[in-house]
Amino acid sequence: MNSRGDVVITGWGCVSPLGGDVASTWNALLSGKGARGAITTIPLEGCRVSQGAEATLPALDWISKKDASRLSRASRLALPAAREAMADAGLIDPAGRSIFSRLEMSLSTTACGMEFGEAFLRGLWSSNPRQQTARMSRYPAQQQISDLQQHLGFSGPAMIVSNACASGANAIGHAGDLIRGGFADIVLTGGFEALCELVFCGFDALQAMDPEECRPFDIHRRGLMLGEGAAFLVMESASHAAKRGATVKGRLAGYGHTTDKFHITQPDPTGTPLATAIRTALDRAGIAASGIGYINAHGTGTPFNDGTEAAAFASVFDHGIHGLSISSTKAAIGHTLGAAGALEAVFCLKALESGCPPPQINTVSPVTELPARLTKLGERLSEKAVLSVNLGFGGSNAAVIFTPA
Amino acid sequence: MKNPVSILSVGVSSPGGATYGALLDTSCWPVRRVEEVIPGYGVRDVSTIDLSVEPVNRWRLRPRLRRASPLSHHLIEAVSQTLEARPEVDPARVGIVGAFFLGCVAYSVKFYKGLTDEGRRFASPVLFPETVANTPLSHVVAELGIGGPVYSQVGDTSCWTSAIRTAGVWLANGDVDHVIVAGAEEFDVHELDGFHSVRWFNKTFPFLLAEGAGAILLGRENKNSIARITSVADGFSFRTRTQGRQAAMDCMALFDPRVAVAETATSWITPYAAAATAGRTTVPLHTGPKVEAFNASCAWNTISAARLIQNESFQSIIVPAWGLSQQIGALALA
Repeated sequence: MNSRGDVVITGWGCVSPLGGDVASTWNALLSGKGARGAITTIPLEGCRVSQGAEATLPALDWISKKDASRLSRASRLALPAAREAMADAGLIDPAGRSIFSRLEMSLSTTACGMEFGEAFLRGLWSSNPRQQTARMSRYPAQQQISDLQQHLGFSGPAMIVSNACASGANAIGHAGDLIRGGFADIVLTGGFEALCELVFCGFDALQAMDPEECRPFDIHRRGLMLGEGAAFLVMESASHAAKRGATVKGRLAGYGHTTDKFHITQPDPTGTPLATAIRTALDRAGIAASGIGYINAHGTGTPFNDGTEAAAFASVFDHGIHGLSISSTKAAIGHTLGAAGALEAVFCLKALESGCPPPQINTVSPVTELPARLTKLGERLSEKAVLSVNLGFGGSNAAVIFTPA
Repeated sequence: MKNPVSILSVGVSSPGGATYGALLDTSCWPVRRVEEVIPGYGVRDVSTIDLSVEPVNRWRLRPRLRRASPLSHHLIEAVSQTLEARPEVDPARVGIVGAFFLGCVAYSVKFYKGLTDEGRRFASPVLFPETVANTPLSHVVAELGIGGPVYSQVGDTSCWTSAIRTAGVWLANGDVDHVIVAGAEEFDVHELDGFHSVRWFNKTFPFLLAEGAGAILLGRENKNSIARITSVADGFSFRTRTQGRQAAMDCMALFDPRVAVAETATSWITPYAAAATAGRTTVPLHTGPKVEAFNASCAWNTISAARLIQNESFQSIIVPAWGLSQQIGALALA
């Protein structure tokens, strides 16, 4: 990737169950906190699991109350995260609007404004036509594009990739592809996901959620914890960033993605498709596996995912590799599906900036297949590159590598 | 589009049949009258694919597709045709981008109805994975051995132009040799109430709601191509219908006014599309009633325009994707 154009990150922002911005989320994450608690925003009577990682919605004080009341929960999460990233990159003018009238977006989500879709269906089934126009128009994914463009003051091309839980990493990788290919100089990229009844009940029906703590890579792991949030990055070509005097916070060095054809919900237990995605990312970054100091694993805590991931890591990285550590931040903030890749990218970049990778929490008895230890509290980063991987239903695999500024 | 790409083959799954010829006259398509979910609210003309007949049902025998959504079946039929027409292309080196508006709406509604009626503890673990947006494309790549990158993109009708742009990025960056871009939609009765509520059913500009899929195989080579995509105009967003009118004007202003424009508009945007294309030669792509199947329609429109160029009826044609809710885009074919 470097050979065809340096892609740099000049701004980041997030909303997570641990905090309403990057600083508060990162501080909580580094101190080993977890966000697990009772889910209050959706009805869950009858579900096997009723806990998860719910975010506190930040105040949208730059939007009128009337406009804010019309937003989906997904937009309520996405807007402050995107605004933080744009402000961080110096893209917000004193009036709170984008300095660029056209700004390309590469986005990800899986459930978009699903609460409006659910309300629309309930309205139909109770033969109640009131408010159906608003519900129908606010449900689709493109509505969140409109919300971002309207409330941050820009227009331009926008794509939403919905590759299940790998979507966030795909959106970031695609933004890099646009820039390195010369299709765009600057891209606002990120993902967002709000908890909703349909998806929560789906994972509950699959018995994919741990009724207690989420314990990634633990031999006693029983499943994931659902979460919600949003994260955005401002990515641009190095020359564009230099021209406008932007501060470079990190670089997207490599991106690889593959599709695992093994099963619709279960990954190939050999981990081969994921290993291929990682090797592609390493190859494009021009970095040897030994140059990776930290892996932010997908680490959902399900028996299938973590087993596959451990096998993939073991095939790419030498066992006991010096300096490498692995953690899954999903134990702390939950699995945020379409936002996961974007949130985890922010954590990787913060790890590079601070020199401290986020620790693994909850895991007591790690699986032995992992080629490296799980990250400990207060650990320092040893190498100059970090890797984030994501896997999704349908076999979507993605790997992104970041290097320091 | 930095570099033009060639359309090397096409695939069609439509209510009128699974060939390009089925797109030429929509008056031959089967039509049924379907009542909206709320009784007495409206009865609409709908054209759907009978999955019990050949060739679509050939995929039913595949174990992975046994319980797959109708969308998956429409999609795999169209995508498989693009590969069957080009046996020299190795599927392992092909990427695929899917463009969807409502995605797996039928199974999503069925899943949610189940947990609403019978209780959350009875939510179906079989249906849930089939509601996920990228599941249809996953079935397709698994069954057809497609080995390149795979993106499922969602959005309104303009998602089609965005998907073409993604394909152009992959080809330009050398990530793959070929990319299939597919648009697909499935019908569910709840859509009728949805489109009614947002006033897309318009007596002045009626359309036949349809389902199906279309796919095009893109490559860099020009040899034996059907047509070339020379430019993509993407990202003309709007929030209100007034803004939609301006977005239509801005999008069309990018193109040479001497180039003909395909007639692809339906519903409320039709008069705005007419205003934006005033003074240009317009090209009807089929006879019969106007059809709306969102991203599937965009694929069909692109295929029809490409065939007109291939048979030298036109040198070049602009194929707009008039998104009805968020964005307008267009392709230039030559």
